[in-house]
Amino acid sequence: MTKPDANPPLLTERNARFICSEVSINIAGRNARNFPSLARAYGCRVSADRRQITVFLPIARSESVLRDIREIGAIAAVFTRPSTNESIQIKGGDAKIVALQSGDRLVMQEYGRIFVCDINSIGYRNPFASAMMRAVAEESVAVVFTPDAAFEQTPGPGAGKRLTP
Amino acid sequence: MTLSLDALRSCFEGIVPATIATCATDGTPNVALLSQVHYIDNRHVALSFQFFNKTRQNILANPYALVSVIDPDTAVHYQFGLRYLRTETEGALFENMKAKLAGIASHTGMSKVFRLLGSDVYEVLSIACDSTAVQPSCATQKRAFASLRSCTQKLAQCGELSVLLDETLDSLAEHFAIRHSMLLMLDEQGERLFTVASRGYDKSGVGSEILLGDGIIGVAARERTPIRIGHMTSEYLYGRTVREQMLHGGEHGEVETEIPLPGLAEPHSQLAVPINRGKRLLGALYVESPDDMRFTYEDEDALVVIANQLALCIELLGQVTEEQCSKSDTTPTSAAASGTPLVIRHYPSDGSVFIDEAYLIKGVAGAIIWKLLRDTVNGRRNEFTNRELRLDPTLRLPDIGDNLEARLILLQRRLAERSEYIRLEKTGRGRFHLILQRPVQLIEMP
Repeated sequence: MTKPDANPPLLTERNARFICSEVSINIAGRNARNFPSLARAYGCRVSADRRQITVFLPIARSESVLRDIREIGAIAAVFTRPSTNESIQIKGGDAKIVALQSGDRLVMQEYGRIFVCDINSIGYRNPFASAMMRAVAEESVAVVFTPDAAFEQTPGPGAGKRLTP
Repeated sequence: MTLSLDALRSCFEGIVPATIATCATDGTPNVALLSQVHYIDNRHVALSFQFFNKTRQNILANPYALVSVIDPDTAVHYQFGLRYLRTETEGALFENMKAKLAGIASHTGMSKVFRLLGSDVYEVLSIACDSTAVQPSCATQKRAFASLRSCTQKLAQCGELSVLLDETLDSLAEHFAIRHSMLLMLDEQGERLFTVASRGYDKSGVGSEILLGDGIIGVAARERTPIRIGHMTSEYLYGRTVREQMLHGGEHGEVETEIPLPGLAEPHSQLAVPINRGKRLLGALYVESPDDMRFTYEDEDALVVIANQLALCIELLGQVTEEQCSKSDTTPTSAAASGTPLVIRHYPSDGSVFIDEAYLIKGVAGAIIWKLLRDTVNGRRNEFTNRELRLDPTLRLPDIGDNLEARLILLQRRLAERSEYIRLEKTGRGRFHLILQRPVQLIEMP
């Protein structure tokens, strides 16, 4: 019999699956003057122990967020499934920029493919599909962070509720 | 490339949800989706405030935000650096956003969730884009200009109010492919709008009324602001209003004295534009469509320009009518008619008039037709002038030229729809005939 984890990861298995699915991913950072920055991420990977999240950002489209993450390291990421509005937001304070690992590009491409399927189902076709597939092919970096807070963000009365393991 | 907010208005149609990033005073960033980014002018936008959430807390403490929108035509992302200025909880901007949000909420299945608490007004500090390859398209604007030119040229040639009203709606169909439209004028008390012309419906609905503040047309008129909704929302449907009107019935027992408002049962796009002359509201122009997102910012611009020209033309035609009236004479003539008399009843309490039990009209128009009938039957004459109606103490008309003319047009159109035997015909500016092709029996009800 396995003992229950005394310090379970903040990210539940369900939420880990959700953030790696066909969700739109928007990343916010901030600079030293508390001005926010914002960029879209194209795909996500969760570590096996669910204690680290890695998102992929095309460099040319994400300059200010990458600069802020390099300087400050604070990050907020909102994951939303377009067809249902289901959303969660995850925050971290230790975000770092790292190079893509082998296999990450495939993750990005697969993400692009399933995301396009989801938005196609609600009527978005070109130019959205081609823009998505262009972005996942651009020169990109990975941003990795440890989640230290997570929030329900599906529009409605439950929005803002803190998520626990 | 210098980006202008004006050129990016299609990004604010809500076709793709926007995203907002803010930052708490402790340095924690926050990112959330936005239901609505509303274009105010080239330096300001408003965001919908619906929940007391983290975004709200953050902007009240640290007013800087970044909003990302996506151009629905090119999928290019644009980012606006914003500074929060204030929140409006009533007035034109608030009502405009409330109506639009109702459409968005209904479309996204969020009717029970989305409720506008305020319109947060922001100054736009910067605009950036993730692609230098794509320029915002000007093609739509160019097309709208050409249509507008043709439309306004036609309106400028109209020498009579009734022609002007018809030409406006015909031009919308011809140059903007807008098939369902109505024109309404404000009543003498400034409380209701009454329909004087419509296109695209089984029944014209001429004479039907809307209270100021009721539905999209009433709110647009009351707030003196155009309101555009891109998705069907039950909150702004007139079907309910019509049903309520039906339920209340008239003052005459089972007899119906309300004219149903024309209109699509389920409009997916609606645009109401007030017709203003200076600060004075003259009426409203309303268009609708069974398709989602049918009307764009460019259509809204065009209809506002048309409504402004319409207001000017209405005023000018009113002045011309007055000049001509003062020179005209009334000529006594006798009505020659044969056949079974039409029984016409008049209820003084609300001015309603019935022809052989069928409701014709009430209020000011009812009082006017009753006077014309009495004068004609009493053998005095059948030719009248606007001027004498205006001066007639029993009618108690306010001294506003364009409104009387609008009432006469309404009366003329109701008669044309409701009776083969009674007609109002214009004989010149500010002059008209009442033509009776059957004898009439007038009964004044208690």
